[in-house]
Amino acid sequence: MSASLTMTGQRRLNPAVPTLIVAGAFFLLLLGAIGFGTIWMSPETIANVLLGGGEKSERLVILQLRMPRVVAAIISGAAIAFSGYLLQRITRNELASPGVLGVVDGASLGVVLFLAIFSNEANALMVPVSWQPLAAAIGALVAIALVFILSGRQASSTIRLLLFGIAIAAVAKALTTIFILIGPNYQATQAARWLAGAVYAISWSEIQIMLAALIPTVLIAGWLARDLPPADLDDVSSRSVGLNLHVYRIAVFFIAGALTAIAVAFVGAVGFLGLIAPHMARLLVGRARLAGIVTSMMLGAMMLVAADLVVRVAFAPTEVPAGTITAIVGAPYFLFLLMRKDKTNG
Amino acid sequence: MNLTVNINIESIHVASALSVPRPISLSRPSRVQVYVGLALLLALSMLASLTLGYKVYSLDQVFTALFAHDGSETSVVIAGLRLPRALIAPLTGAALGMAGVLVQTLSRNRIASPDTLGLNAGASLAVVVAGIVFGVQSLAGLAMAASLGAFVTAIVVFGIAAGAGGLSPLKIVLVGVTFASLSHAFVEVLLTSNEAMLQQLLFWLSGAFVDRPIGLFYTALPVVLVGGIVAVGLSRALDALQADDATAQGLGVPLGLVRALAFVAVAILTGAAISMAGPVAFVGLVVPHAARRLVGLRHIHQLPAAALFGAVYATLADVAARFVIYPVEAPVGAVTAVVGAITLVVLLRRRAA
Repeated sequence: MSASLTMTGQRRLNPAVPTLIVAGAFFLLLLGAIGFGTIWMSPETIANVLLGGGEKSERLVILQLRMPRVVAAIISGAAIAFSGYLLQRITRNELASPGVLGVVDGASLGVVLFLAIFSNEANALMVPVSWQPLAAAIGALVAIALVFILSGRQASSTIRLLLFGIAIAAVAKALTTIFILIGPNYQATQAARWLAGAVYAISWSEIQIMLAALIPTVLIAGWLARDLPPADLDDVSSRSVGLNLHVYRIAVFFIAGALTAIAVAFVGAVGFLGLIAPHMARLLVGRARLAGIVTSMMLGAMMLVAADLVVRVAFAPTEVPAGTITAIVGAPYFLFLLMRKDKTNG
Repeated sequence: MNLTVNINIESIHVASALSVPRPISLSRPSRVQVYVGLALLLALSMLASLTLGYKVYSLDQVFTALFAHDGSETSVVIAGLRLPRALIAPLTGAALGMAGVLVQTLSRNRIASPDTLGLNAGASLAVVVAGIVFGVQSLAGLAMAASLGAFVTAIVVFGIAAGAGGLSPLKIVLVGVTFASLSHAFVEVLLTSNEAMLQQLLFWLSGAFVDRPIGLFYTALPVVLVGGIVAVGLSRALDALQADDATAQGLGVPLGLVRALAFVAVAILTGAAISMAGPVAFVGLVVPHAARRLVGLRHIHQLPAAALFGAVYATLADVAARFVIYPVEAPVGAVTAVVGAITLVVLLRRRAA
């Protein structure tokens, strides 16, 4: 655990300091994310518009085109990162993430099935496309439930859960690919876009639904997080200080799954955020709980906002999904973590 | 951790299988019976592949089409559409079956397969890169790219997993899965920024035996044969490798050389399969388990049994795919993915118990 070793030297530093630094970077990134695009919007213009002024065209671009994307990216990035934080703490394994539990791939399968079942001959959807997030959430929750049912009484063992998660994820992924490929063309494009993670088409009303679902979940998650055992406490010692790890673990797994499910339901299968953000947060602020959660969420939000910004600026006019950027950055980071770890981690 | 314990128990089994040449098991049919039975099954399933489908042809018609081609429409359909499938499906299944055995032995991991280790994804990425970046058009060129992709991925995945401190089953699968999502992301970027190529390359990305030119079979056949021969040639060393490194070294096995050759074989076999049919899901996962059940752990038997069983399995899956949602044809990958899923869950549960 070289991370914790290097951290011990800096532990005397108040975790509030790096948290505030991250918050500052977050703010600058937001200005950039709203500012950049086909037309540059200066920070003054943005402030002006947000305070209710500005020209009509500026208001349209900022409030209706750019803000929804940015806000959706913030909310979902933060939710996924929180989910990852919970999973990594409860499994005491920094390789755990919502993706590994099958949540993301389950959601993908849900969306693809939804598109396949409700499309008619003419390739059009027979139900409003706004039901798509529901399909994603159902897919994600079915995937988590399956992981738990299948692992049965081994559900409290981390490794078992991860293995079943990987298995479910692999199967869901295989089926998803197949359904995309046999589906009609329009449907395939629509699904492929969503699958790779795309924040570009989101509207304020969807953000409202997302918040309505997320706020209670985040509150429950926060309440559960108060009882997270210290990272270095093993099963026996946890029991001796009165924690019922079995029930508690399952509750945390479900809440973490729900957090990711809601987020990916709206912004698509964004990979690796839930893995990297909590890990980087620990490098920055050490093991302090509140600072860890807040920093994780800010970093997750930043990553998704940044990925979306890269997509908008670098690949315009084609909309390469933001999820591909997070995967291209995240996968090597994950591999690096794997290589660096000693055998104790898996 | 549970896993390590399980593996040790497994390796004890292997060790005893090595010292006692013929594991005693009354219910198990003799190996000759197994081989003959599988060969018969293969012949039958290939025949089924020729006759059954959207239209059912009589044996007579099939015979005419194959050996006394009369230019009739029936003959054209049988020789031009059914025959390539009936040849490509078993060859792909055999290649993936043997590749699966090798991968599971190399990683000492019963849930490893060309899919879970990311080899399929790597091969797909290589095909897309060759098509878009280097403008490769020919089937042979793309097939080469697939093999190369599988090979490079195998080396990278095993290299990273080994660098990560031992080839623990979870770790190697994690590396493979991660590598697969990385490859998928790159494929996604390349295809969204170049939609014209999408249609052309779907062929390689989907995994199916429909509409494949028979030329692919002739290109891949010698490749699969070479891969199979290399694998069988390594079988004694692989038996030892199956236990653990110390045992293998004690028996005088040159570990590095054997691993390297086995990698080449895996890459050749997976690449050949993907060049014919694209990534057909989980064949390489399911087949080795069946082979071990039928003939035991020794590779000299495991590999041929896996080849035969894989051939039968892929052919039957291909036939089944024609009837699952009749009259429309389901993709064979959906059939193998469902079977693979059930197998995977059963394996995990059994190991957990």
